[in-house]
Amino acid sequence: MAKSGFRVVTDSTADLPPAWREKYAIEVVPLKVLFGKETFRDGVDLDSDQFFQKLEASQQLPTTSAPSPGDFAEVYQRLSAECEGVVSIHLGSNLSATCESARLGAESVEGFPVHVVDSRSTTMAIAFLCKVAAESPDLAGAVSAVEARVDKLGILALLDTMRYIQMGGRISKIQYLLGSMLDVKPLLKLDHGEIKPLDRTRTRAKAIPGMIQRLKEEGPLESLAVMHGSAPADAEKLRGQLRQEMPGLAIEIGQIGAVLGTHTGPRALGLIYVKE
Amino acid sequence: MKTAPRADVAALAEAQVVDGQLFKRALLGSLSWLGANQEEVNRLNVFPVPDGDTGTNMLLTLQSAVEDIRESEAKEISKIAALAAHGSLMGARGNSGVILSQIFRGFAKHVQGKSELTPAELADALEEAANAAYRAVIKPTEGTILTVAREAGKAAKAAADDPKARVNTVIRAACKAAKTATDKTPTQLAILREAGVVDAGGFGLQVILEGFLKTVEESEAQAPASMPSGAPKAAAAQRNLELPEEGWGYCTEFLIEGKGMNVDEIRDTIAGMGNSALVVGDEDLIRVHVHTNEPTSVLAYASGVGTLARTKVDDMSKQHRVILQGEANGRAPERAVASRPNGIGLVGVVAGGGLAGIFRGLGVDAVVEGGQTMNPSTQDMLKAVEAVPYDEVFLLPNNANVILAAHQVPELTKKKVHILRTRTVPQGIAAMVAFNPTRGAVENLAAMVGAKDQVQTIEVTHAVRDSKANGVAVKKGDVIALINDKLKHSGADYGSVVSLALKDIKPDEYELVTVYRGQGAKDKDLKLLTEAIGRDFPGLEVEVQDGGQQHYPFILSVE
Repeated sequence: MAKSGFRVVTDSTADLPPAWREKYAIEVVPLKVLFGKETFRDGVDLDSDQFFQKLEASQQLPTTSAPSPGDFAEVYQRLSAECEGVVSIHLGSNLSATCESARLGAESVEGFPVHVVDSRSTTMAIAFLCKVAAESPDLAGAVSAVEARVDKLGILALLDTMRYIQMGGRISKIQYLLGSMLDVKPLLKLDHGEIKPLDRTRTRAKAIPGMIQRLKEEGPLESLAVMHGSAPADAEKLRGQLRQEMPGLAIEIGQIGAVLGTHTGPRALGLIYVKE
Repeated sequence: MKTAPRADVAALAEAQVVDGQLFKRALLGSLSWLGANQEEVNRLNVFPVPDGDTGTNMLLTLQSAVEDIRESEAKEISKIAALAAHGSLMGARGNSGVILSQIFRGFAKHVQGKSELTPAELADALEEAANAAYRAVIKPTEGTILTVAREAGKAAKAAADDPKARVNTVIRAACKAAKTATDKTPTQLAILREAGVVDAGGFGLQVILEGFLKTVEESEAQAPASMPSGAPKAAAAQRNLELPEEGWGYCTEFLIEGKGMNVDEIRDTIAGMGNSALVVGDEDLIRVHVHTNEPTSVLAYASGVGTLARTKVDDMSKQHRVILQGEANGRAPERAVASRPNGIGLVGVVAGGGLAGIFRGLGVDAVVEGGQTMNPSTQDMLKAVEAVPYDEVFLLPNNANVILAAHQVPELTKKKVHILRTRTVPQGIAAMVAFNPTRGAVENLAAMVGAKDQVQTIEVTHAVRDSKANGVAVKKGDVIALINDKLKHSGADYGSVVSLALKDIKPDEYELVTVYRGQGAKDKDLKLLTEAIGRDFPGLEVEVQDGGQQHYPFILSVE
């Protein structure tokens, strides 16, 4: 079988829309989600809605783990027979060991070019990079198109509760939000891999205008997605509001997967964007 | 010269002047008379809510004024009046207390440099005290303590025009006018008319004047007619400090470090070189604050006394901020390392362990105990502001009766203090939730004010007296609900009263009710209340928090 072109590989935290996955033949390597002794492959054994159901029912918070280098090696090995190279785009290295696993996995497949890209971001920010890569004419073009956009990714996240991020431990930067007996709803920004607190409110209704305002302050956008954790109606409503503010921009809707969902908790809303 | 105090007073009464010691004794008389009438004043509260009572607030304010003069032997009325003004300002509680402190301040300012007052001068000072109080209030309301102060001042002036006027006739006229004005307050304020009471603050001032009069008349009655008029005249060397305010261009502050320094002597000298002088401390360390046209002369004098530290000279035409440092105590302020990125400290007034914990959890650095039960004094708040390790401080009064006292804080400290006009605990919490330590003061203030204005407060308690206010008639013991600090509903049980209150505030526009449970609130009442909300307003989410506040079994925040 003749090898042709290049392929895009990502991991399950990209929350890649199924349509894109199919259209661009993107490979998705799952992270693992552990509820007690039960292990699930993110997005394979457990979809977003199932995950949030389990999350709310579970006494214990799940833990997540990065794919092993072997998981990646297996995929690269298989692809080395089908194409001339891979651009492998992953969850930020400051958030997870996934990138490191991918690098190690790539090293074990000798003679096959694998460009591992650290997105320094998560969820559909990675999916947007995958789409840009897949639409590039060749591997070199894909790598440069993706790398040029890594600095332009942004995420605004409105959590419905502090509980999960508090327990998840990724909180040093947002320490001030904690210690409160009140359940505040924080608006966070993920910027170059760093979590920054923006605002906190007691209700969602009050948080949304601030969230839209912050997004507008980011300037013109190339791509935008509204993400949700089992809150499709809220996401649709937010998309409606955003369409009025940003006519002409296609706005995707996506579901927050298990790994990110472990930290955001249910009913979180996210705005994922690529700046122009 | 040494004279027995009684004889001294008698002599002064005979001489028909008020000096420092008579003024001091008269204020002590006011204090005991107000103490005797405290409950009477408290009973005049219009609202049936168990809030910080006017009589108590005024008494505590006056107590603080008298504390500062009790030990003073100063003969000059200027000195005693200045001490009283300072003390009352530091101890000011509640709106009437703060206005009382402004009356003292106006009086003190007017008698600056005088060792004694003739009846005419006393009348002028009373009138000027009232004017100063008017100026200090942003929106003066007639039918309050302000009106009573003004009418008393006017009557004093008129009485002093009589060539036979004496100190007691001037004060008596002031008292009489104060009573008439107090009795008329219900015709000026609908809220008093409705409740069928006179204004509590006005009545309090009337009582203070009566106490003053009692002392003056007593000393006069006891003055033996044959007592020779031997009252010492004010020292001729007394400097005239009544120079135009605009002549004092520089606010000059520094510390003098030395050994065996004579504070009184230094105070007198520096007071003679400017005005608004405040020289406090001990033999080893003195804090000086003075407004002067010639800061270099003051500094030259002071450097001859000891070593200067932390010298600061501000052009007052640029920034008109009077800085009185109350308690220097010779202690250099400790400076903890500020850890908040924007360098803003947060002080909140709140009562109740749960609420204090919530405020701390949201970032408040210092909690001043108080609010519904006891209005904290300006000094209580000042201490907390001084204690937080930041130079810029946001102060949240969280109670309508604390706002005015809080507004006195900025001019008492070098720190930059912003008062968030939070009138209720939920407003304070909403403002705190909106605080972000990575943003600057302007941005935070805008966000916090916006947030506090969006929240609705329902306070639920029991009427402590029969009353009628805002058209709501209540019987003692009724469950009553206040919406945003105004009495709106009364009834037999928590559930129905809260449902009525929630209906008033358009519940469709809100999504969350936080119930802060007070001390002594019963589980069964909480259940009734949350069930009533769930049944009548299914769209509202209910969250219960332990507030621990007194007197209010439930405080609800709707947002």
